[in-house]
Amino acid sequence: MGYEKINFETDSGRAVDDEKLQRALVNVTNRFRSARQKASSEVPGWDELRTLGREIKKETIENLDRYLLMLEENVKKAGGQVHWARDGEEACAIIIGIARRNNVKSVVKSKSMATEEVELNTALEKAGIRAVETDLGEYIIQLAGEHPSHIIAPAVHKTKDDISRLFSEKLGVPYLSEPEELTKVARERMRSEFLNAGMGISGANFAVAETGTIVIVENEGNARLTTTVPRIHVALAGIEKIIPRYNDLSLFLTLLARSATGQKSSTYVSFITGPRRKTDKDGPEEFHLVLLDNGRSGILANEETRESLYCIRCGACLNNCPVYRKVGGHSYGWVYSGPIGAIINPQLLGIDKAPELPFASSLCGACRDVCPVRIDFPRVLLELRHEVKESKAEKGKGFELFIERISFRLWRTIVTHEKLYGAASTLMYYLLKPFRGKGGNLGSLPYPFSRWTQDRDFPAIASTPFRERWKKLKWEIGQGGPGKGIR
Amino acid sequence: MEKIEMGNRAGGARKRYPLMKDSREEILRKVILGLYGDPEHKEGGIPTRDSERDFAKESEKLLRDRIIIANRLLEQFIKELLNVNTEVREAHGEKELRDYIAGLVHEKGVSSFVMWESESLNSLGLKELLNGEGLQQVISNDKNEIAEAGIGITGADYAIADTGTLVLMTDGNRPRSVSLLPPIHLAIVRKSDIVSDIKELFIILKQILDTDQGVPSCMTFITGPSRTADIELNLTLGVHGPKELYVIIL
Repeated sequence: MGYEKINFETDSGRAVDDEKLQRALVNVTNRFRSARQKASSEVPGWDELRTLGREIKKETIENLDRYLLMLEENVKKAGGQVHWARDGEEACAIIIGIARRNNVKSVVKSKSMATEEVELNTALEKAGIRAVETDLGEYIIQLAGEHPSHIIAPAVHKTKDDISRLFSEKLGVPYLSEPEELTKVARERMRSEFLNAGMGISGANFAVAETGTIVIVENEGNARLTTTVPRIHVALAGIEKIIPRYNDLSLFLTLLARSATGQKSSTYVSFITGPRRKTDKDGPEEFHLVLLDNGRSGILANEETRESLYCIRCGACLNNCPVYRKVGGHSYGWVYSGPIGAIINPQLLGIDKAPELPFASSLCGACRDVCPVRIDFPRVLLELRHEVKESKAEKGKGFELFIERISFRLWRTIVTHEKLYGAASTLMYYLLKPFRGKGGNLGSLPYPFSRWTQDRDFPAIASTPFRERWKKLKWEIGQGGPGKGIR
Repeated sequence: MEKIEMGNRAGGARKRYPLMKDSREEILRKVILGLYGDPEHKEGGIPTRDSERDFAKESEKLLRDRIIIANRLLEQFIKELLNVNTEVREAHGEKELRDYIAGLVHEKGVSSFVMWESESLNSLGLKELLNGEGLQQVISNDKNEIAEAGIGITGADYAIADTGTLVLMTDGNRPRSVSLLPPIHLAIVRKSDIVSDIKELFIILKQILDTDQGVPSCMTFITGPSRTADIELNLTLGVHGPKELYVIIL
């Protein structure tokens, strides 16, 4: 179940060849894109709201120390307990500790990227505690022994047929072809899990410093059950999930649902402040908030990439990314995928663990244009590319770096001298002529240029340079009207 | 009264009374004379005043606007509820409400119910109604028993017109499970509790936050019945929470 080494090049190649996956990706991303487009255009001043979202997040992250202490104080005031986890291991140990102290044998989990990040399920299993994912998508993934491939639609890579087979194989039910029937099976199975579980584990979409309130957004109701039915509720939240004031929620809830699924509001939003009160008839008796660092404070230390922590995990950048739409979530090799995965996986895991990811982007900026908190992805990606080039991963590639540096220096000299440029392009035209493939493109070049042509063609140099055509064109335009030369 | 007593003390009402009447006549005569220069002048009816007329108009307009806004909010709220697969009914009066609920539980073949013990719900006489219809009330706090109830009945503290959202706050009489565990959730919303959007709601919530009591242990926004789209994006209702949501606006 654990994550293996990130291998974007191989995995994305496999994904592109997987026809079933390609259809699923087109389906899901198109649906989410048009829904987001519609939902956001209905809100007057949507772009100003995004700006405001960014400003609040910026202010929060820049004062994170104070807001964390404020959050801790207010969770405690509400009767909850706060734990701090430096890394995934510590987070798992804390949660297992709570379970053991209370003699908990089985836990129910609602969808949480943070628990996925710390691989909590594996840790619980090792500790002899049964953990059941209760979000339908996550449940399917858990049964299949796989990882989520989309932040908000984890099982998007699975077809109905895959799921029907999986259910009949793992749950011993007949092959059911209707989503309603499959959903019914899951509901019945999970109901008894909820009623018998000793502990519920959730994530948190927001943690409000001012009141110590944890906010969870969902559609199925499994998060409500997870946080209501078992005797203990544990929420795991990254330290960047903080929202300073209660009133800020009206903005962030507006931004989140519409950016994620294009809903005006998710079906359920739970605002949980501590455990049940004395007079309450239900709700958990204990409430624990585990605050997870796991590399986030490291991101904080880098002013150039700090804005990566503004993310509210809506998934809009995935749906709008031309790269994600082709390669799918698993190619990114870790919990987070798409543009947000490309910027936070290398930062959370260490740049050496995921040096390919900052390059898994065309820098087109579609992610930045839809981001509800206006993260400047292209800028952060470029910054990370720079870091990759400076990092250990690139040591031992000294020769290539040398060639690269020389090439760019040469390029600079050539393009800044007109005569030289003319001569060089004529020379290159003849030099490259033998490498022309079908359609006139350069399909395969010798090393080191093969690094480019192994994945894509390089356009050949035109026989008549534009500079020559332009001279003619200018003359024709001068004669009155668009030149015949324009083709 | 006092004057008559004084008159008595002075030694005879008989003498005092006509005097009083004379004073009345005299004052009125003086007022009329002073105003019109003719003691016999007669002006009938209640005097009118321009500013007073405007003021009355203003109040009427204000009231009309409020009704228009309330109706617009109601209309919007109903529209949004329908968009999220929710059955909605407007009840004009408590009798209509009770008739509708009685019809609903029969149509659904529901044999037991669980309900909030809030004051505003209790005042509607639903318990008596449903008991009369032969339904068992689940009064236990046991989650297994609540899960077995055929319908969960709650009120709503607020409703958001813009998104079709119900806002439910937990306290001792209003457990979270009632809107969560049974397969059908029925919520009764008062028209006056409908707010326009989430911004307006949070302005109100801020006031609650500032009281000594602070925020409740749990507040839930409910927008439609439980749903999932995890299997090839097919919309399926009732995956974990209630499969059906009914809203009655009173």
